[in-house]
Amino acid sequence: MITRTAGSIITKGRTYQYVDNGEPMRGGMKDVYFSPDRSYVVAFYRDVQDFNSRERLIKIVTQYYDSFFNKEGGNYYKDLYSWPTDVVELDRKIGIVVPTYNQNFFFRKGYATSDLIRGKEKEGKWFASPKFRNKQFPLRLDESELGNWLSYFQVCVNIARGVKRLHAAGLAHSDLSYKNVLVDPVSRTAAIIDIDGLVVPGLFPPDVIGTADFIAPEVLSSKHLDVKDPNRKLPNRLTDLHALAVMIYMYLLYRHPLKGGKIHDLDTEKDDLLAMGERALFIEHPTDKSNRPKLNQLNPKELPWADVTKVPYTITGPYLKALFDRAFIDGLHNPMQRPTANEWEDALLKTTDLMQPCSNAACDQKWYVFDNTNRPACPFCGTPHKGTLPVLDLYYQFRESVWKPENQRLMVYSNQYLFQWHANRNVIRNEKLTQEQKVPVGYFTFHQGRWVLVNQKLDSLKDITEDKEIPLGSMVELTDGKKLLLSKEEGGRVVIVTMANK
Amino acid sequence: MFGEPIQALNNALSGMINTLRSDAQALDSLWISIVTFDREVKELVPLTELVNFQLPEITCPQSGPTNTGKGLELIYQKVTAEVRKGTDTQKGDWRPLFFLFTDGKPSDIQLYREMIPKIKSLHFGAMVGCAAGQLADDSMLKELTGTVVHLDTADTNTLRQFFKWVSDTIEQGNKSMGTVESVALPPPPTEVHLVI
Repeated sequence: MITRTAGSIITKGRTYQYVDNGEPMRGGMKDVYFSPDRSYVVAFYRDVQDFNSRERLIKIVTQYYDSFFNKEGGNYYKDLYSWPTDVVELDRKIGIVVPTYNQNFFFRKGYATSDLIRGKEKEGKWFASPKFRNKQFPLRLDESELGNWLSYFQVCVNIARGVKRLHAAGLAHSDLSYKNVLVDPVSRTAAIIDIDGLVVPGLFPPDVIGTADFIAPEVLSSKHLDVKDPNRKLPNRLTDLHALAVMIYMYLLYRHPLKGGKIHDLDTEKDDLLAMGERALFIEHPTDKSNRPKLNQLNPKELPWADVTKVPYTITGPYLKALFDRAFIDGLHNPMQRPTANEWEDALLKTTDLMQPCSNAACDQKWYVFDNTNRPACPFCGTPHKGTLPVLDLYYQFRESVWKPENQRLMVYSNQYLFQWHANRNVIRNEKLTQEQKVPVGYFTFHQGRWVLVNQKLDSLKDITEDKEIPLGSMVELTDGKKLLLSKEEGGRVVIVTMANK
Repeated sequence: MFGEPIQALNNALSGMINTLRSDAQALDSLWISIVTFDREVKELVPLTELVNFQLPEITCPQSGPTNTGKGLELIYQKVTAEVRKGTDTQKGDWRPLFFLFTDGKPSDIQLYREMIPKIKSLHFGAMVGCAAGQLADDSMLKELTGTVVHLDTADTNTLRQFFKWVSDTIEQGNKSMGTVESVALPPPPTEVHLVI
């Protein structure tokens, strides 16, 4: 075990120590060593880096670093990425310095039955494969590691935000995968790592085509062509969007959207190349059902998730269904049609407003999306919803006295909160919200047999049906057909109450 | 193989299984089988899903022939019978990887050479021969596969490194793929000689 020192190629005289025990952790391209205090790692490229790669790395740790983190709101992104902070050189090998991931991205318990992976990184694969959550699987994850279904929505929101910010800066990650996105359903966070492969169109070409399962069809179907061939498709912003869609689908449904039962070739490798590339087909395509998973060939440890009839993608609700359709039907072979990261973020957030806690304490998922029926039930355990269920549809003022639907609703449950982004359409629910905007403005509760909204911070809440102001600190009952004006300010919304499960 | 080398091999092999058992991708797709060959050839562990795999102690007689050819024969039978090929209705298995580990040279040279084209016809995803110790014969292994690793000594540390490399090879599938086609094998650890 030797402690070595490598010098920055950017700041003369700045050095970094790392511990070389002869057995670095090995990534696809780099050998990774911890610093003595384990607060950062030094990752050396095994191959010599050409001028372009060096320039790219230097830019990533200087110019891009500044524009991402040294601006207002930059702190928020620090948790979303594991961004390299310096470039070093030692014995003609180039390396990057990257802060160690937050503690929450290492398993506290790991497997339910052993300590084998305690302390290991929470790679996405652990949470995307149905086996590791199957109680019959000997090496399943401990329940304390799995979170509930709602946790994965927040995880996906974070991933979408991370990708959104990269794309907003004109960058593409180029290799989003299980390995490169750490997820933690316990703290409901995600972190994008391996930032050093960033692609800037026209400036820095990609040096990887991605990781199996996440490579876009157009990249796979042209991978036999020379890198300089004009028809060769390489990773870019739009292929990131394919990977993002696959990732979200997998974290919510624990199966791959393109891996079904259709046989394209008797040779396994050719078959896989076609199934993920040229002839990729959504396993839940509404009309072309030829790629539906074959039930008799499924591994029982992957059930119920592998069974698309038991757990169809429509359980993710109307907003996400629409985006999955665009990603895996319209946009699968037509990259321009793919939903943007921002659209995913938005749809995920709107979907969380449709979620209900399952009343079955033993339900593994704990939450489900309201299915817009009069008799809602948890799609995972089948438990019907108990009691009435207020549904609030949001409207905005189109012009004087004309209100139009927002295509957005809020499902009420006891202790559900109301926020400014519900009350006013000018407040956008994203990472730029101020602390003050994150404070609830009211809450819903089932009180003495009635559903009520308690007004905490809405200055101009009004019951339009009864033509009555609802002052701060008082409450209003939610009844079928009731109209409430949440705010008189510009952008203020009206909600109309529908009582389901009567 | 006898004495310290076989102890070291058992130790390193069990380390490798543990490494693989803490890899989500490997757990999702990997099946393992072990065949030993000395005077006798036997399937020590039949093809088993990694999650259920129990590694037995590997033992070898102190002296006697090394029936590598017979070992290949059994491998050939097993792979032909057990690795599922794609059909019109069912996807096939991924191409298997083959690691051959020996500290000597084949005693049944004729059979060994007869088996080589058959083994090659199985189209393994990767085929690695490992010759451990001074008595191991690289040239015989090179007739079987272009990738031969020579370990000067079969001590615990060297073997551990070797099996780390083996598990890296197995895990290769879930790493980023380069834009230019590259060799599927990761570079071997520094302590061993890769004979190509």
